[in-house]
Amino acid sequence: MDATERIEKLKTEALSAVAGAGSTAELEDVRVKYLGRSAELTNTKKSIGRLPAEQRREVGRAANLATREIEEALSEHAARLTAAEREARLKAEAVDITLPGTPYPKGHLHPTQRVIDEVVDFFVGLGYRVAEGPEVETDYYNFTALNIPPGHPARMMQATFFLDDGLVLRTHTSPVQVRTMLAQEPPVYVIVPGRVYRRDSDPTHTPMFNQIEGLAVDRGLSLAHLKGTLAAMARSFFGEKTKTRFRPSYFQFTEPSVEMDVSCFVCGGSDPNCKVCKGAGWLEMLGAGMVDPAVLEEVGYDPEEYTGFAFGMGPDRMAMVRYGIPDLRLFFEGDLRFLRQF
Amino acid sequence: MRVPLGWLRDYINFDLSAEELVDLLSLHSQEVEGVERFGVLDGEVVVGEVVEFGPHPDADRLHVAKVDIGGQVVQIVAGAPNPYPGARIPVVLPGSTLAGIGKIKRARLRGLESYGMMMSERELGISDNHEGILLLDDNYETGQPVEEYFPVGETVLDIDVMPNRPDLWGMIGVARELAAILDTDFRIPETRFETGGEPTSDYILRVEAEDLCPRYDLRRVSSLRSGTSPIWLRRRLYAAGMRPVSGIVDATNYVMLETGQPIHAFDAGKVRGGIVVRRARPEERMTFLDGRTRTLDERMLLISDEERGVALAGVMGGEDTEVGDETTETLLEVATFDGRNVLETSARLGLRTDASGRFERGLDPNMVDYAMDRVTQLLCEHCGGRAASDTLSHYPKPVKAWEVPLRIERTELLLGTPVSEDEAAKKLRALGCETRPEDGKIQTTVPTFRRDLRREADLIEEVGRLIGLDRVPEELPGVFSPGGLSADQRKVRLLRQLLADLGLAEAITYPFGPDRWESDLTGDERDSREPIRLQNPLSAEARNLRRVLLPGLLDAAARNRSFGVQGGALFEVARVFEPDPPSAEFREAAIRFRMTGETGGEVPDAASLMGVSETLKVGAVLFGTVQPAEWNTPETRAGFFEARGLVERLVPGASFEPGVKPFLHPGRSAVIRAQGSEAGWVGELHPETAEKFELGGWPVAVFELDVAFCDPDPEPRFKPFVNVPAVGRDLAVVVDSHIRAGDMLAAIRDLHSPILAGMRLFDLYEGSPVPEGKKSVAFNFTFQGRETLTDEDVNSEVERIARRLEEEFGARVRSS
Ligand SMILES: [Zn+2]
Repeated sequence: MDATERIEKLKTEALSAVAGAGSTAELEDVRVKYLGRSAELTNTKKSIGRLPAEQRREVGRAANLATREIEEALSEHAARLTAAEREARLKAEAVDITLPGTPYPKGHLHPTQRVIDEVVDFFVGLGYRVAEGPEVETDYYNFTALNIPPGHPARMMQATFFLDDGLVLRTHTSPVQVRTMLAQEPPVYVIVPGRVYRRDSDPTHTPMFNQIEGLAVDRGLSLAHLKGTLAAMARSFFGEKTKTRFRPSYFQFTEPSVEMDVSCFVCGGSDPNCKVCKGAGWLEMLGAGMVDPAVLEEVGYDPEEYTGFAFGMGPDRMAMVRYGIPDLRLFFEGDLRFLRQF
Repeated sequence: MRVPLGWLRDYINFDLSAEELVDLLSLHSQEVEGVERFGVLDGEVVVGEVVEFGPHPDADRLHVAKVDIGGQVVQIVAGAPNPYPGARIPVVLPGSTLAGIGKIKRARLRGLESYGMMMSERELGISDNHEGILLLDDNYETGQPVEEYFPVGETVLDIDVMPNRPDLWGMIGVARELAAILDTDFRIPETRFETGGEPTSDYILRVEAEDLCPRYDLRRVSSLRSGTSPIWLRRRLYAAGMRPVSGIVDATNYVMLETGQPIHAFDAGKVRGGIVVRRARPEERMTFLDGRTRTLDERMLLISDEERGVALAGVMGGEDTEVGDETTETLLEVATFDGRNVLETSARLGLRTDASGRFERGLDPNMVDYAMDRVTQLLCEHCGGRAASDTLSHYPKPVKAWEVPLRIERTELLLGTPVSEDEAAKKLRALGCETRPEDGKIQTTVPTFRRDLRREADLIEEVGRLIGLDRVPEELPGVFSPGGLSADQRKVRLLRQLLADLGLAEAITYPFGPDRWESDLTGDERDSREPIRLQNPLSAEARNLRRVLLPGLLDAAARNRSFGVQGGALFEVARVFEPDPPSAEFREAAIRFRMTGETGGEVPDAASLMGVSETLKVGAVLFGTVQPAEWNTPETRAGFFEARGLVERLVPGASFEPGVKPFLHPGRSAVIRAQGSEAGWVGELHPETAEKFELGGWPVAVFELDVAFCDPDPEPRFKPFVNVPAVGRDLAVVVDSHIRAGDMLAAIRDLHSPILAGMRLFDLYEGSPVPEGKKSVAFNFTFQGRETLTDEDVNSEVERIARRLEEEFGARVRSS
């Protein structure tokens, strides 16, 4: 057999060995056998110099050609095998994707606090600051300064917790309004969230609950400003379609006084059996009014120059309405079955 | 105020459904709490005459009647035994609907056909009497509709009258209000009665406590037969929420409901000498209408005769002079008492009555005349009374109408909507005011029954609600200052958000607790200062204001445990309260400040006069299995380090030092220090404390921090870095077991290594092969230089660290 034939045979053998290799490791064996340092083809190439001159060129060419062809086949087959092997590996690595993920625990903000944060943010957006005050309050700030002098029946209505010597647990956040006005000149725009206390305990009253009050005192403020402000808040809190209405009311420290209803955000008044509004179509939402001139005078503001409005709402009740919570007492028990729902 | 609409129609004509009235009143006046219906809602009631009456053949407790209902005799089965042949009784026909009962059908009762139903007073809405069938007298003609004699159904509005409107505690006031809303007329019944009774002046009237009794009128009505009031009157009282009693008492109650003015009738025969209005004597005792004897004091206003108390003014009458069936003449008291005094008296005795509730709002003394005449009229008409021609009256300072000017521009400013002068004046006149223009203002004369209208703002409110608040447009004020949370408020918000993000649940708990809280938490080192106490707690379990958040959170944890929760984590951001009494010399100043707001003179600032210091704290409790195991994560149980980790997030740079709080585990707790002060504490609960809070045997870890020291999101500050690779290296050492890891970390930090960029304590191990009494502590260091570090650089720094640990703690490097 002459050399070129031998090369051709080796090539054929090599190509079929390449094709037969079932793994990258086998393929490497094939490469070593046919193209390795001691492979016949390699040796043939090394010994070309010893061939007769007229054969050198032809054998050299055939050897190079065969080498290149085998190399190509090797690399092609290697790529194919690598891909197949990767695929097999990935397949073996598959997990049960229906297993739950590593837990990143979800915490819970109290539903009342969620409401307070939302309402506060709304008023902050309107340019209000947040004012705070003590929960143990003086008789004067809690009552007298708010136009509720000693002996006034309104004091009885508010079922006050008394401490020693002229101190009470505040029955509303209104004293913060007085403190704010005493501490600064108008204009005043503040929102006042806080805990308040009344000596009541039954299915719909807890001895502690939350209030959010707002106060604005400026030149030229009117009931229309109050209405616009509260209507905007109601739309922000209950949705753009929410309607509002004012009803006359009575509070000792506002005159005129009003209550605001919002249209039922569940049924809009269309469902006589609605669980949220009980068919009324309206939900009582808050009390408000124009700051009584006596209150303005008490803090040294001139009621002829300045007018103001104030409003107060119950974020606990708002949370009950918004989240469908049936019982106020749930709010203050620290029960995880309750808290974990928020 | 319960307003029966049938009664209201005596004073005003209206063509509105109950629902429409509710809306109108709600939008223009007072809230209506409910609508209640009595008697026959729909259908017919006729006068029947019993023809036969006897027992039901097959039922012990039932009776059978044959009843003539006008040309037709029907059979009716009844439970009540009181009808008899010849009796006239109301019969409701089948197909009618009764309040609280429903539709009346033809029925078979124990085998016998029953046509409709004979009715009790309760079923007709006359009273709550359900003893027997209502027996009608011979004036009722058989077969006639009962409706021709008195209404058989009633609709009652329950109006929630605001405390500033005592005038609406009477039907006449409600009629006036409704007339103003509807822009129509109303009428007040005229009073006419026969005089010629025994003179009142046989008795004396002496008012000694003038300051508490602006007006007292007394009139004698004689030749009375008390008897029972007519059905129409009884059913009105009942619908208005009162119990019909007797002719005399019903008349006084009826006029009270009509005018708002309470009236008391004494049995004149039992009054000795006359009426003296005076303060009670110390320890004076009197037996009241309710049969109870109470001890009075000299702050209380007493109505007495020449010998003893006969009524506690404005609150309740006395038993001695109570009118009864045998009463033949009465002394009528129509008076006005000081509202505050009545309020305080009824509060002291814990005795609130319909009358005291009215007097305490402050009544109009000018109402007395009409009420007196009206009740006299009823007693004459219904009880055969004859009125004295004289009335004894004490009214030294008659109250006169007052004037309040109203500026229309001020009205428009406050209401935010245009209002014409004519319109405003008209609305005020509809309420009973007189108006005249004067100097560009509406000069308004306010009737004395509107004691709430004193100032311009009060009138503006009236105008606003009567023109309708729906006329007020929506506007927004232009606020020219930036709003926002203060830095501290933002911090609290972040703090709460952070703790929630870390998996805790926010709680809100009550700040009051029992004495037990104090003793359970303070142990032996009990503070000599008492907690702040409520004078009138709801119970002894809720009398002290908390000084720490812990107990409320522990109670919550225990509650969760009792409901089978396996564990969890709660936090609360809230205030705690410490007494901070002013020194003795400023005590009086403090009380003056608290009552009047005054801080004048040589007194410290207002804050120090409050006597209480409130501090905002954040507290948390981790209990049981805080986070249960999942298939690829272990469970997290409550422990010191779980709590400490939270504290580290809240107070960057906090240090943890031993410090024993009696309620914490002495070996697993620490005082937290920051910025050179004590910021709070953290630790596992002392097992004994856990027992006391029903958490025994459970892991519980807690912390509490002064919010002032928290910084959940510190302001970042950029530090330059170089782009050369960092090198990591581990170092494990063996030290004596008692060596504290924190000290080792501090010692390494103290080296101020120029290339140590970070370290982590990643393993802690005791047990074989580490010798007994020793532990292995493994650190991982990250080194970073300004240029690429060589092995030698890193090795020599690790050696320096190891050397320091050896020198200071006897640490031996563990060969790996
Ligand atoms: Zn609804």
